Amino acid sequence: MQPDRTAIEELIYRSCLALDEKNFKAYLDLCDGDFHYSITAHSPEIRKDMIWLDHDKQSMQTLLGNLPRHNSDHSPLTRHATVYTVDIDTTKLQADVVTALQVFKTTLDGGATELFAVGRYLDSVKLDDSGHPKLLKRVVRLDTRQFGFGYHIPF
Amino acid sequence: MSRNAAQWRQKPKFPPSHFVDSRIYSDDAIFRDEQQKIFNACWIIACHESEIPNAFDYRTFYHPGGTPLIVVRGEDMKVRCFYNVCPHRGNTLLYDPVGNAKRITCIFHSWSFDTMGNCVDITREEQGFQKRFCKADAGLREVRAEIGFGGFAWVNIDDNACTLKEYIGDALDMLEEHMSMPLEVFHYHKAIVNTNYKLWHDTNSEFYHDYMHYFNRVTGMLQPGYFDRKYTAYPNGHASVGSMQIKYDAYEGSQVRGVGWPGLAPGGWILIDIFPAMTYNLRTSVLRMDTSIPLGPNKLVIEFRGLGLKSDTAQQRAERIRDHNTIWGPFGRNLHEDLLGVHGQGRAMHPGSEPAWVLHGREENMTIHDEGGMRHFYAEWSRRMGRNAYDPYGEKKISAVA
Repeated sequence: MQPDRTAIEELIYRSCLALDEKNFKAYLDLCDGDFHYSITAHSPEIRKDMIWLDHDKQSMQTLLGNLPRHNSDHSPLTRHATVYTVDIDTTKLQADVVTALQVFKTTLDGGATELFAVGRYLDSVKLDDSGHPKLLKRVVRLDTRQFGFGYHIPF
Repeated sequence: MSRNAAQWRQKPKFPPSHFVDSRIYSDDAIFRDEQQKIFNACWIIACHESEIPNAFDYRTFYHPGGTPLIVVRGEDMKVRCFYNVCPHRGNTLLYDPVGNAKRITCIFHSWSFDTMGNCVDITREEQGFQKRFCKADAGLREVRAEIGFGGFAWVNIDDNACTLKEYIGDALDMLEEHMSMPLEVFHYHKAIVNTNYKLWHDTNSEFYHDYMHYFNRVTGMLQPGYFDRKYTAYPNGHASVGSMQIKYDAYEGSQVRGVGWPGLAPGGWILIDIFPAMTYNLRTSVLRMDTSIPLGPNKLVIEFRGLGLKSDTAQQRAERIRDHNTIWGPFGRNLHEDLLGVHGQGRAMHPGSEPAWVLHGREENMTIHDEGGMRHFYAEWSRRMGRNAYDPYGEKKISAVA
């Protein structure tokens, strides 16, 4: 089956919609069993790359499942993604996808929206004959490194 | 039973050491006073030596007293500190947070300085100043700097202050053996929160707020030894909390913490608050260091550093990073909760808000839920400020009670 760029783009966008809606089951359903998720950033202050979150699918599920036990900011986030490049490797049945990401936060009280973070999704996508690609690996590479009082839900 | 206005304002039935007036968190005049009497008089951590490992490496630092600084390692490998201010027209000398510069040259008129603070070039010096002013008149303002207590670069604006060793005293003795090996910063980020710096230091000075943290409740509060941890108060407003064994696997999804820290029992935890706004927090495999830079009475920058051993293997470092991120990273379970707490305090006690009493009244024989750590801080704060924290404007006639 010919790999379909539209299906790959839709996978990225659906992952944003699922997280925006805090529908974590739907998000994880988009991920392969070998899914790996990380958030990284570079600190010019210490001249080092940093890893801020690092999970496989199981531990991601646990992290998200534990959320109701914690005190968190409940302001909703809106992820805006634009898929830049899709490089398909037909022999490996994988695609490397680079997506620009902006995350907006809207206050519950009054509804003011602010830009919360910018960065990129650096995804590896698993392709198969089903026509339903799956997220195999997601690196959220952040440019933003200040988040005020923070947030519990990954981007 | 709810209270009416008069009841709300009534002085708490505690000794005056056990509560403070909320205006100390919101008054701009008090904040300016704190900059002079506290921040410009105390030793403050500017950065860590691992951030400037090579000759001519520099790090810029916005000192909480309000002065921008440069911390720079000279050709002789000595770390020195200067105002990041050109003595000519007051321009910022170095703009980037880090760099390497044999010469520090002002972009404005190209006056140039070496890493000893000497002015080495004034452009068109003789034509402009003839013999009235020369390079010897234009050195940088040097600030006292010392490396110590885990390899941190400490600075003090006050030329007449005591030494760093005298300032710390024996407050960091509990950590001494654990910081005997060279350390390295692997994590750095800042948070800007609309709150007062003392409220963040309070959060680091009391553990009663473990009720806010699901992680700490299941791994600490519900475990043996938790209520035995004791506060120790030291001169100059410093305080420590003794260790216990944290049961990390009580939190679902926790992974084995194998790497540990030299000399620290598995699952151990030592926390030491250094007056006025720094906290050493050694937990399992990571040393977290908080340093606060207040920008106003209700605006605070907190710098978060995570440190491991310089000798770490890649695998050891990866484990430390994982341990750090679980609770303290920007997406960690505890940090967001702590910041949410002080954000809420800043929102409720904002400048212009009705004064309220903030209670520090818990007494549990100086064990973990005693609020003696905060009381000790405010005793030092009051001494240095010449104001009582419970009566910062001298309005009330409250007899001192021990």
